[in-house]
Amino acid sequence: MDSNVAIPAVQEEQVKPAARLRRRRFLDMSDVRFFTISLTAPAQYVLLFIIMFPLLAEVYISLTAWTPTRGGDWTQAYRFWDWGRNYVEVFRDLAFWQALGRTFLIAGVAVSLEFLLGLGIAFLFLDEFPGKRVFYALMLVPMMIVPAVAGYVFWLFFQSNGPLNAIISLLIGQPFTLTWLANDVTAMIAVIVAEVWEWTPLMFLIMLSGLVGLPEDQMRAATMLGATFWQKFRYLMLPMLKPIIIIALVIRGMEAVKIFDMVYLMTQGGPAQATETISIYMYKIAFQQVRWSYAAAAAMTILVIMTILASYALRPLQAPQREVA
Amino acid sequence: MASVRLENLRKEFGSVVAVKELNLHFPDKKFAAILGPSGCGKTTTMNMIAGLETPTRGSIYFDDRRMNDVPPGKRDVGFVFQNYAIFTHMTVAENIGFGLKIRGVDEATIRREVGQIAELLELTDMLNVNAGRLSVNDMQKVALGRSMIVKPRIFLLDEPFSNLDAAFRAYMRGELKRIQREIGQTMIYVTHDQVEAMSMADNIAVMDFGVLQQFGTPDEIYNQPVNLFVANFIGSPNMNFIPCYFRSEDGKGYLVQKRGNARILLDDRRRQLLEQHPGNQDLIWGARPEHLTLHSEPSRSEYLRATVRFLEPLGPKTVVHLELGDQDTIKVIAHPSYREKAGTVQWIEINPKYLHVFDAKTGFAIR
Repeated sequence: MDSNVAIPAVQEEQVKPAARLRRRRFLDMSDVRFFTISLTAPAQYVLLFIIMFPLLAEVYISLTAWTPTRGGDWTQAYRFWDWGRNYVEVFRDLAFWQALGRTFLIAGVAVSLEFLLGLGIAFLFLDEFPGKRVFYALMLVPMMIVPAVAGYVFWLFFQSNGPLNAIISLLIGQPFTLTWLANDVTAMIAVIVAEVWEWTPLMFLIMLSGLVGLPEDQMRAATMLGATFWQKFRYLMLPMLKPIIIIALVIRGMEAVKIFDMVYLMTQGGPAQATETISIYMYKIAFQQVRWSYAAAAAMTILVIMTILASYALRPLQAPQREVA
Repeated sequence: MASVRLENLRKEFGSVVAVKELNLHFPDKKFAAILGPSGCGKTTTMNMIAGLETPTRGSIYFDDRRMNDVPPGKRDVGFVFQNYAIFTHMTVAENIGFGLKIRGVDEATIRREVGQIAELLELTDMLNVNAGRLSVNDMQKVALGRSMIVKPRIFLLDEPFSNLDAAFRAYMRGELKRIQREIGQTMIYVTHDQVEAMSMADNIAVMDFGVLQQFGTPDEIYNQPVNLFVANFIGSPNMNFIPCYFRSEDGKGYLVQKRGNARILLDDRRRQLLEQHPGNQDLIWGARPEHLTLHSEPSRSEYLRATVRFLEPLGPKTVVHLELGDQDTIKVIAHPSYREKAGTVQWIEINPKYLHVFDAKTGFAIR
């Protein structure tokens, strides 16, 4: 009752000042808003330009048959407008889909191996052992090496007279001269090995941070209930690490699909098209065959495919939030 | 169910000795408490019994079997953690049933047993709730149920109620004691809260700095503390300690206050005991505030003269702080209506039955 009486009294008292205040604040606010917008505008425009302009330009070019060799710059591309014939062609292009398939194969195998290795090594680093700091520093070295350099090192490594064959010769006691990069299957293996070497440390770091953050008492509680290591892993660690694992896999997966430098240095996509990933394929289209509008259409197709895949992969992360809401 | 016996148990963390040559026997089917201030080694002792820590030296026996080399999961010990350690990504039912699931028990049996435990703990309505969303009170119940379902031989509880709100803590104290009695479960309970230990336990082990101070029933701990630490740690407000020395006059023995002249006449047994005690010039007498009585007149010559300094009215009782002699303060529990002013002279009656005498150097009780 008290509050019922009190509220109208307060309102009546403040009606006029409040109205005045509101009018004045409206003016103030609009001034402030204009001012803040004008301050952020340059950055906003730059950002918009950086993100939107290349995308729109790409869409525009992909809908034409323009390439620099046909004359004119890209702004005149409308003269070769052909209503998306490029896209039809992309859909019919076997080499494109094969390159995409190979890329997914490399990315799938490499990222899976990186994940398993990274998680396994992260488990080892949970315990104390002599020289842990040194090993920790060594683990991170591959990530710090420029991929192009790593690609060149692995190109040397897999030569027929390179260190790998020397080691194998030593082990089997007779000369071993497999030309790794000249054989379809072994070239693929070599590329995957290089990719795994380069990026396992990142997985290791992400997984280690996840493992370190696991609640210790829950693990102890499970131990006391008689859970084995595998039961703890399956019922506790895996579900708790799930968000981290998904994010790590998505980040690495998207990165791995873009693989270019290593492959280009080691095999140039060869022998023939055996290791031609989608990036190498696009590079060849754009810079060797100079079919820019076709490359733009292929790039758009990949963007759409990757967006769909990524949103599916990230879906489990959104589930708990929906539940709460 | 099983008894637990610790033999010369020692645990070092680097140069820190957490537990020092501990010898203890927790009887079968009894409720025992390990009581001590934080850092006294009680949780380390508990972890060693559970197998979560490896002792530096010494042995742990369950009944007559040495358990040192048995891994924690095989010791058949239920453990309830201070912060519950609930599996927050599972439902309440999955949490309680976890122990059975990893033992490969079939779904129907798990569901039945979980149902029984949930009923016992009044969790039936919440079985399908995500455990991460429970209140701390319910989390603690789930933690209890999760350990109970595998019917461990020994139940260890590490300050399980310290995060609960006061009313629920009192309720859970009663419930836990009831469950313990009903199923005759051997329970060992770690706490720094003397009220929890005194109210629930059959036996209490008081620890300080990794050393066992006293092991006994709550009565023994309260009425016959073996040293100054136990005497001081148990009781609220804590015991009064007055430094004094022994004097013999005309065949009678007295304890004379050092910072003042308050004298306590001793009975014959105590007089003889103290006469023979080598350190009898450096003593401390102790008396609990609840065992002292205030009088306004010195109707008997043994009463000690003291001056009221301030009052602490606590509702059901009033704690009166008085000055005895020059510097010694002494607390007395008086009737809630007691309202004497500061500066009033009062006379304290000490019941000789409840008088404790300690050696000031060693801290041990003389009796």
